[in-house]
Amino acid sequence: MGSGVTRELVREILSWTDWGIFAYFVALNSSYLALLLMAGLEFARHLRRLPFAGADDMFRSPLTLPVSVIVPAYNEGPGIVAAVQAMTALRYPRYEVVVVDDGSSDDTFERLREQFDLVEVPRLVPADVPYEGDVLSVHVARADPETLTVVRKTNGGKADALNVGINLARHPLICMVDADSVLDPDALLSVAKPFGDDPLRVAACGGVVRIANGCKVLGGRVVDVRMPRQWLVRIQVVEYLRAFLMGRTGWSRLGGLVVISGAFGVFRRDLVVEVGGMDRDTIGEDAELVVRLHHHLRGQRHDYRVIFVAEPVSWSEAPSTWRVLGRQRRRWHRGIAEILRKHRGMIANPRYGRIGLIALPYYVIFELLAPFVELSALVLVPLGLWADAVDVAFAWRFVLVAYGYGLLVSLASLFIEEVSFHRYPRWGDLARGVAAAVMENFGYRQILAVWQITGALSAWRGGKGTWGTMHREGFSTPDFVSGRVP
Amino acid sequence: MLAVFTFVIEVLAVVVAGTVGGIVTARLVRGSRQRKRARLAAGPRRALLAFVADNGEEGSHDLVAIPADAWRAAEPHALALLQKLRGEAHLGLVSVFLRRGVARTAMGHLRSRSRVRRARAAQVLGDLELRQAVPALCELLTDRHAEVRVVAVRALGRIGDPAAAWRIIASLDRADPIPSLLASHTLVQLGADAEVTVSAALDHPQARVRAVCLDALGLLGATASVHRIARVLREDSHLDVRVAAAAALGKLGTRTALDPLTLALHPSRPTPLRVAAARALGDLGAPSAVPTLAGLLTDEAFAVAHEAAHALRRLGRPGLEALHYAHVGSGVAAAHASEALAYAQVVDGQSSVRSGAAGGAVGWVPA
Repeated sequence: MGSGVTRELVREILSWTDWGIFAYFVALNSSYLALLLMAGLEFARHLRRLPFAGADDMFRSPLTLPVSVIVPAYNEGPGIVAAVQAMTALRYPRYEVVVVDDGSSDDTFERLREQFDLVEVPRLVPADVPYEGDVLSVHVARADPETLTVVRKTNGGKADALNVGINLARHPLICMVDADSVLDPDALLSVAKPFGDDPLRVAACGGVVRIANGCKVLGGRVVDVRMPRQWLVRIQVVEYLRAFLMGRTGWSRLGGLVVISGAFGVFRRDLVVEVGGMDRDTIGEDAELVVRLHHHLRGQRHDYRVIFVAEPVSWSEAPSTWRVLGRQRRRWHRGIAEILRKHRGMIANPRYGRIGLIALPYYVIFELLAPFVELSALVLVPLGLWADAVDVAFAWRFVLVAYGYGLLVSLASLFIEEVSFHRYPRWGDLARGVAAAVMENFGYRQILAVWQITGALSAWRGGKGTWGTMHREGFSTPDFVSGRVP
Repeated sequence: MLAVFTFVIEVLAVVVAGTVGGIVTARLVRGSRQRKRARLAAGPRRALLAFVADNGEEGSHDLVAIPADAWRAAEPHALALLQKLRGEAHLGLVSVFLRRGVARTAMGHLRSRSRVRRARAAQVLGDLELRQAVPALCELLTDRHAEVRVVAVRALGRIGDPAAAWRIIASLDRADPIPSLLASHTLVQLGADAEVTVSAALDHPQARVRAVCLDALGLLGATASVHRIARVLREDSHLDVRVAAAAALGKLGTRTALDPLTLALHPSRPTPLRVAAARALGDLGAPSAVPTLAGLLTDEAFAVAHEAAHALRRLGRPGLEALHYAHVGSGVAAAHASEALAYAQVVDGQSSVRSGAAGGAVGWVPA
């Protein structure tokens, strides 16, 4: 009798838990859909204004705020020259590129020295923001010393490298770019423009990052956009569209943007110095900086904006193997967990406005906890079936609705991309994008959830995070297609 | 409950299929539109290029006679071309636009209820550099939407009528003003004839207005305003304004700026002002500034000493000699001098740098 009651209780709990999980999936995907709709509105607004956006006027103005582009590099040998070539050929009136070689063990520095004829200068490094590693030498390009600076330092992590770059930056705006990124020629102009349009309020501006794998890169520029060859990377293309392009645009429109990718973002240098630069103890230092800026500026009741521009873009190489992808996603989720723990005082705190009341609670519920719920579903639904708490007819419908809604969100991203930016002109690529949106639900999301949980738990355990290494295939071959070894 | 789920699945299936259909339709419609537009624009584009190649002397009648739908397709190309042209070809193309009634339509759209249409119209009038549009564009400076005001200011800058100067300055004195850098650039585009108005605005009660005008005066080369700017540097109550005054004096490059800039370097002054003054002395190019700048190499403020060293570098031989002198010593001054000398060698191609200046110790962090 006792075991019968217990069994009934377990059934009841399983049944309610399954319903809870279902409600969670519906809420999660509905929130994505709402962000997509806002992104769609923002894109329409942006495209209507292109004819009078004034990018050319900004390019011609002698008063356009100069930018220091900071490029932290760690073992980026294969792609560093093409990336720096592209960065030194951007369309922007006045800027410098500061590459910080964070103790690479490969030939990153040698390649730069050879290509740009670097000359060592005894440059002093101010300590506006703290850094740990020793600066070994500072070099400038002989032909254009005002434009390219390369710093060699002992390994101290990405945040430490960025802090050295911030100290050496001479201009009022700093742009952080990953060394494996290729920027569109007008990318800097677009992402710095909000600072000229609203100079008193714009504190930071993020640019969109797209996946370069499969694209044709010539002379440091993406000249032909294609879908990657591997399904693993194709799924990431759809994921980037949904989460980064649409999601962040939506958050920007809501006034709740808390993540600017370290791969492409511009900040006011004075504010970054004011908050102490990059946090060397957090693995997601890019997002942490944005949250810290919110913390600081909201705390001081400043009227400010953190915004996101959807084009042009920075192109970045995405992981093409499960192993590297796993490391990346563990790192990302660990970053989210660390940031939310560090700034937990802001969560649900009305003092921090939309950031405290909407954005950060959303990140706790729908970003941090999402993989836990996803994996719970994978365990509890079969368990419910086994315990007779859930019948088969319910279970397959449950799965179909939960994943079908997710598929709809991905397809809606592709639709908005097609209507607004139309970056993938080939019909075949379009079909592959749709197929990738379907395939994402079979294995990819579930494996991702496992890695994300591992990342979150590692944040819980503490310890210092590392850059990690990502195998780079580089952009230098004439028709570089990432995902295959040249 | 199962029935509800089944219904939701059916709805989802329809919406998913509809979204895929929407993607395909969007692509088909886009392709069809692009092909149609390209077909329509092909003839006018050829005619436009021929017209420009002839320096606007022949073919204007053909351009005016292009049917409306074909011109609409080619208009973005024509406007882009307009921004790149100068001289006769530009005037010729402007006259084509005028004869086609583009300016008249744009003037009408300045009163449209749509802010996008008002902004687009202002952009077109600026591209056409139409002086008759200046009063109407000045009216837009009080538009309730900031984006329209911004486009109007840019259009006024392209037209370059100095009569617009005071309206632009006045538009800065509001709670939601146009961006300062845009205002400064526009005032510069109005040319030397705007100097009197801009200089008079140095007495404006709003600090932002004074700072904008100082930026503009520096770029305008307004040497007649040096004394007024020096007074602002000495007396203004706002640090940002005084920093702008120092930068403007550096750009103007007159000897009379030397004394006020030297006074601004006094240790009792705020660091940002001292940094700006040191940089301005380097821009000024006056060898008599060398002793003052050399004295700053030991300054406690890193930014001041750093700026002073590079100002000395820009001053040429007398500055480099001072840097050599500091370089043979030790401590902070030697480190700053060493850096500036190394840059002199690379940036300016100066060969007089003694051995040991370039290369060597880096990563020095001030205490």
